[in-house]
Amino acid sequence: MSSPANAILVGKKSPRIYSREAVLFGCILLLVLFVLFTAAVSRMYHKSIHVLADNWFDQGEASFRAGDIKSALTDYRNALVYSPDNAKFQFHLAQALAAAGRGDEGRSYLLNLLSESPGSGDVNLTLARIAAHKGLTSEALRYYHGAIYGEWDNDPIGKRWQVRRELAEYLLDHGLQQQAVPEIIALADSTPANDTEQLRVVGILWLRAKLWTRALEVFRTILSANANDEDALLGAATSAFNLGQYSAALDYFDRLPEKDRDASGVAEMHKTAQQINEMNAFLPGLSREAKARRAANDLFLATARLQQCAGQVGQSLTATPPQSQLQKAFAESKELAADESWQNIAKHPETVDEVIGHAFEMENAAAAVCGEAEGADRALWLLGRSREFRHSD
Amino acid sequence: MTEPAAVTSPGAIPPAPSEPANSITKSGFRAMWESWTNRVFTMREDRFFLFLAVLIGILSGLAVVCFRIAIEWTQIELLGSSLSPTFPRLVLAPTLAGFAVALLVIYVFPRARGSGVNQTKSAVYVSNGYIPFNTVVGKFITCALAIGSGQSLGPEDPSLQMGAGIASLLGRRLRLSQEKVRLIAPVGAAAGLAAAFNAPISAVLFVLEEVIGTWSAGVLGAIVLAAISSVVTMRAFLGPESMFRVPPFRVAKPADLLAYVALGIVGGLASLVFLKWLAYARPRIQAFPRWTQHFQPAVAGLLIGIIGMRLPQVMGAGYPIIDQAMHGQFTWKLLLALAALKILATGFSFLSGTPGGMFAPSLFIGAMLGGAVGAIEQHFFPALPGTVGTFALVGMGTFFAGFLRVPITSVFMVIEVSGNYTAILPVMISSLIAYGISRSYIKVPLFDLLARQDGLVLPSVEEQREQMILTVEDAMRVDAALVLERADKVVDAIKKLEGNEGLLSFVRVRPGEWNFIEHSELQRLAADTSQSHTVEEANSKGPLPFVFRDMSLEEALHWAGDWPALPVLSRADLSKLEGVLTLDDILKAFRKVPVA
Repeated sequence: MSSPANAILVGKKSPRIYSREAVLFGCILLLVLFVLFTAAVSRMYHKSIHVLADNWFDQGEASFRAGDIKSALTDYRNALVYSPDNAKFQFHLAQALAAAGRGDEGRSYLLNLLSESPGSGDVNLTLARIAAHKGLTSEALRYYHGAIYGEWDNDPIGKRWQVRRELAEYLLDHGLQQQAVPEIIALADSTPANDTEQLRVVGILWLRAKLWTRALEVFRTILSANANDEDALLGAATSAFNLGQYSAALDYFDRLPEKDRDASGVAEMHKTAQQINEMNAFLPGLSREAKARRAANDLFLATARLQQCAGQVGQSLTATPPQSQLQKAFAESKELAADESWQNIAKHPETVDEVIGHAFEMENAAAAVCGEAEGADRALWLLGRSREFRHSD
Repeated sequence: MTEPAAVTSPGAIPPAPSEPANSITKSGFRAMWESWTNRVFTMREDRFFLFLAVLIGILSGLAVVCFRIAIEWTQIELLGSSLSPTFPRLVLAPTLAGFAVALLVIYVFPRARGSGVNQTKSAVYVSNGYIPFNTVVGKFITCALAIGSGQSLGPEDPSLQMGAGIASLLGRRLRLSQEKVRLIAPVGAAAGLAAAFNAPISAVLFVLEEVIGTWSAGVLGAIVLAAISSVVTMRAFLGPESMFRVPPFRVAKPADLLAYVALGIVGGLASLVFLKWLAYARPRIQAFPRWTQHFQPAVAGLLIGIIGMRLPQVMGAGYPIIDQAMHGQFTWKLLLALAALKILATGFSFLSGTPGGMFAPSLFIGAMLGGAVGAIEQHFFPALPGTVGTFALVGMGTFFAGFLRVPITSVFMVIEVSGNYTAILPVMISSLIAYGISRSYIKVPLFDLLARQDGLVLPSVEEQREQMILTVEDAMRVDAALVLERADKVVDAIKKLEGNEGLLSFVRVRPGEWNFIEHSELQRLAADTSQSHTVEEANSKGPLPFVFRDMSLEEALHWAGDWPALPVLSRADLSKLEGVLTLDDILKAFRKVPVA
């Protein structure tokens, strides 16, 4: 009980106690003043730091927009020095790093941001692009889906649509058609029926996914609103062509402007469609003679192709009994040979199907042995295939 | 009639209904103040100490906030706001500021020299906790100027000393007892460090590990309170964010931890290089003529400026650069170069006597080394979990543990500065390896080494920590006692002692109550013709204080001198004797242990 503190304990007043009291009072006064001073100083500090950070960020934005990525990176980093937790700054730096081909460096900032806001659409999308750029498909898919189901500040529906489109394109680019189809289906479901631009994108994606029926359906919807929409005409023509609807395809091709028809691939399809149209004995509205002529021509064309193919592979078509695919097809057609004039076919219109069937069979055999034909033979082969599909359906 | 307690109790506010309103307020305020101070001063001193710890924490927190702002502003004014300062600023700012700092340290604030940790430690052990307030002011000004101008030093150790200085001033002015004034400096030190690091646990651990060296319950509460209040204060002004932001990761397989073993080895070796260099160069530079001290910080600044022309990242405390490294912004070659040049630059600054801390540079070096090791390992093992940032984070703790030799602090520091618990296992492994390597090749820790170079022999906390603690088990003798019951016949006891004269005789009175009987007393009773005496009739000494086998020998020593022997009892059964302990046994045990 001898220390000053113990003296206080027993309630004895001494000069020391008053001295302590005064000091404590002084301390508290000082503390209040110090708090006020620090508050003022820190407010000034934060204000100036905020201005500095914003200035550097604006400078970075300007550099980025001007395409000067290197300066933009420096500026964004300077901005982050004064506002290290600013998600916007980190995101823009990450984007600039990704744009500079340094996705790995940007990824680190993005992962940080993602850990703070896992539902951020922007962050997920940038991470998805970095992963896609690196060829990390499963990671890219995860982040793309994160972006699709994530949060977006402005126009979330539009942003999600765009991300899904990007994802579908990425999958198609990488030959992942099976994974792309559900994405395109979802994209098509979320596309308004009156938005031609978005419908066009969906149609093109269906074309790329080789789902012709769906593509044709989409392009027809566009054409119902605008019958001269060139992209839709081209898309519809391509889809119809691939579906074996050559008359419809030809119609769409014919409606295309000249410049579009001349494009490579398109011109070839157009020509093939025309040839098919010219040799198709089943075209509605043909006279009996015209039908017979076409059937006879088709058989003649196919026989020539078969013979050429046999010569090419060094096979004799007259071997008995016929063994190879070419020989069998030839032997079957030979049975009809005596009666294959167009006049005879015209007299017996019930034989048209059989004659053309043999022609298709020969074309198929030749294609199987010698590869896909060109020109009129190809047209006949395609016609035959389209008939086969239709029959099998 | 008895008055209500509120009216009669001391310090209660007497009612004054007739007084004017102003007077009421005035008198009310005064009475409130009196009541409050009365309550504060009538606290027991240990409680008052805790109250004071909070006050110190708040004041230290405020001081650190101002200090950090001062450093930042100085840096913006002297080096510009860009991470890559322009050429004239790079060279002129550290050189001229270095010269100004030298003049201030030599002529105005001579105690502001150095990092601040040793100065605080010497205040505790040499000057009874006395740190002049002038040192706090000096530390604030000179460190802000030095670090802000690009000297490769950090603000943590100076913050520690500033906190200790504020605490010391308060302790003296409030006329605390000598013992409390001595203990209050570490309380302030913890507050200062906690605010500077935004890491209260690490600050508490560092002060306990490095400054005080004991887990004294008396001071622990105050240290924790001060650290918490300072961090709360700091966060109120500078925000609650942790210092670094690292993407989360997880260690999938135990084999993944091997990656951090390599980091521990590299960190340990690098800390050795740095320590060896400082230990070698410091006495040599101190031996330079005294007048050169005017120019040493300026020369250091110039050299750092020249390094900065190529790699400005090494200048200053370097926290933004650590953050960039944690986000994988540098190649492994650049990370290695930064680590090496930071060692060089920090050596220049520290050896020149420029005031400033070693914490931030050691974190910087560790982060760069960690990042480099991580980048190299991930190049060869791409499946390795974690990013370069993870390795940089773990590297920080690793180098810190090896260089400052505070392994426990380093583990908690990594967690606190990143807010990321996933790194705990890797950082524990690599820190221990680095610590082990450093400890194997340099026996004395950095701060003790510096103190010894300055002619101070401060107690080494590491030595204390690793000192062997002897227990009763190390000294006691088993099978050296004869246990007697009170009803036993004395003649029987004598028979048992025949041929076993070395045995000590204890009487079991009841569980936990044991007495001692001299052989001469037994023989005296045995000599009696009746032969029917029992042990109970003998003059025994007791009840004896008893000890347990796991108690420290120092504790046992308190009683050993007053009694011929002490019974060593079982904790599970106080009627069971496990051995005996005498003063001789204790002294023999102490003599066997080599002196550190």
